[in-house]
Amino acid sequence: MSEALLLGRRAVREIARYPEATIPALFIPLFFLAVNIGQVSETFPDTTPFLRGQGYVAFQLPVSLMFAVATASSGLALVTEIDLGYFDKLLAAPIRRSSIIFGRLAADLVRGLLGSTVVLLAALALGAHMESGVLGAVVLVVLSALFGVGYAGFGILVALRTRNVQATNTSFLLFFPLLFLTPNFVPFERLTPLMEALARANPVSYVIEGLRSLVIQGWDPDKLAACAGVIVAMGVVLTGLSLRAIATYDR
Amino acid sequence: MSGTHAVEADSLRRAFKGGIEAVRGIDLSIERGEVFGFLGPNGAGKTTTVRMLCTLLPPTAGSARVAGVDVVAEPAEVRRRIGVALQEIGLDPVQTGRELLELQCGLYSIKGADARARTGELLELVGLSDAADRRTKTYSGGMKRRLDLASALVHSPEVLFLDEPTTGLDPSSRLTVWEEVRRINAAGTTVFLTTQYLEEADHLCGRLAIIDAGAIVAEGTPEALKAEMGHDVVTLALGGADVAATEAAVGELAGLERVVAEPDGLALYVTDGAGSIAEIVRRLDRASVRVGAISVSRPSLDDVFLQATGRRLEGAGGEQAA
Repeated sequence: MSEALLLGRRAVREIARYPEATIPALFIPLFFLAVNIGQVSETFPDTTPFLRGQGYVAFQLPVSLMFAVATASSGLALVTEIDLGYFDKLLAAPIRRSSIIFGRLAADLVRGLLGSTVVLLAALALGAHMESGVLGAVVLVVLSALFGVGYAGFGILVALRTRNVQATNTSFLLFFPLLFLTPNFVPFERLTPLMEALARANPVSYVIEGLRSLVIQGWDPDKLAACAGVIVAMGVVLTGLSLRAIATYDR
Repeated sequence: MSGTHAVEADSLRRAFKGGIEAVRGIDLSIERGEVFGFLGPNGAGKTTTVRMLCTLLPPTAGSARVAGVDVVAEPAEVRRRIGVALQEIGLDPVQTGRELLELQCGLYSIKGADARARTGELLELVGLSDAADRRTKTYSGGMKRRLDLASALVHSPEVLFLDEPTTGLDPSSRLTVWEEVRRINAAGTTVFLTTQYLEEADHLCGRLAIIDAGAIVAEGTPEALKAEMGHDVVTLALGGADVAATEAAVGELAGLERVVAEPDGLALYVTDGAGSIAEIVRRLDRASVRVGAISVSRPSLDDVFLQATGRRLEGAGGEQAA
């Protein structure tokens, strides 16, 4: 465990030393938040029933949060280390290989907490308010960050399997269909039947629904449980596959 | 260290996908305290061998023990006992030299004040104290190599693997690395060094093995390997003379074992170099061939390599049996 902490501390240090890798990643979610609100707030005024008295910014906040935390940063850092030879140095040390992954995920957690806090503050500044209160805001940030940690396993998996920077970088693009085949703009029942069916089959929808419930609804145990369940399942599967990939790396 | 051997390999073999056999059943026996050289051209199997001995790559067949520990059965224990500086300098560019060494100490369970003290000691040893708090991405190639060496030494390993430690370095940095290797070895560490530089193998290694196409083709001390050649080398600098005519003139020379054409001359491998000079001059004179210069030397490791593999290590011309 101490090895993972050491490697995690190093990875967190990278965030501070390479702000240029984190700040642009925050631009996209803030951009989407601003553009989406600008485009549809006339269509969906505060009186729209599914907004429950809030502006559209509150409805869009979870989508921007997910954009902020779902990155390939850890995968890119790992594949860069493979390229530079530092990864071999770590493999040649008497540590558990899993600690290399957990060290990276620690950085994702910190990056996710920072990113989701910034996006939340931006949304609050634009008029959103947390129906679930301050505790709900904390849960929102933590769940978002954990989603980022779970998703990071995908980039790490691609990095270990391909050992290719371009492939790892473009792995992020796979997130777009997952994010847009959801009730990201309107609730399930306002989607066309086909899109609704696809969105209901997409686990990411339940993450959005859970996060959104904290913002515009308050505390909804069922939605939060589904949201947490998807995050845990995704984390277990993707981190598990990453751990398997590093255990069998060059084996 | 268990037993007297730092490294033992028995029929060690590694094949990759597609059936490419990078290492084809090599045997090694390296005593502790040695500086052992593993000499060969690019693609000969040096790095694959090192990666197997360092537990980074499992062998396809055969076995190996490093510091008395089986590399397949107890890889973690092997890793605790070895230091590794691979061909690609393994540094994290985001960290400073000091941070990198302190982290490396932590990975070997050296913590707190001990880690800080060991880091300071190693930075001093490799002459990087002044640059310790700069990020490693600002270091020169020589500085990076020295820091990489230091990071391989944090836990005072029993066996140090250096994979082409001077490739890409300027001559001055190369000499500095040689000094470090000698110092590390003098402190009791066995050094396993791969190189494609003959001079490096000659100067640093007490014993060496020549690997070619995945197989060891010669092994011994540099002096013994050269002595086993049993001949001297007479070099004719052509200075404009015709290659074919020169070869024809000396072709029937007594004691001539082979003639190797080089970019600007001919190398004659003869049993008695000094004693052959007069006859070589007479033959060239009779054939009206005027060469630029004639010199006699003892065989080099390059000659050993040529004898073992049929070609020169560093791009000399083709050869022709006499």
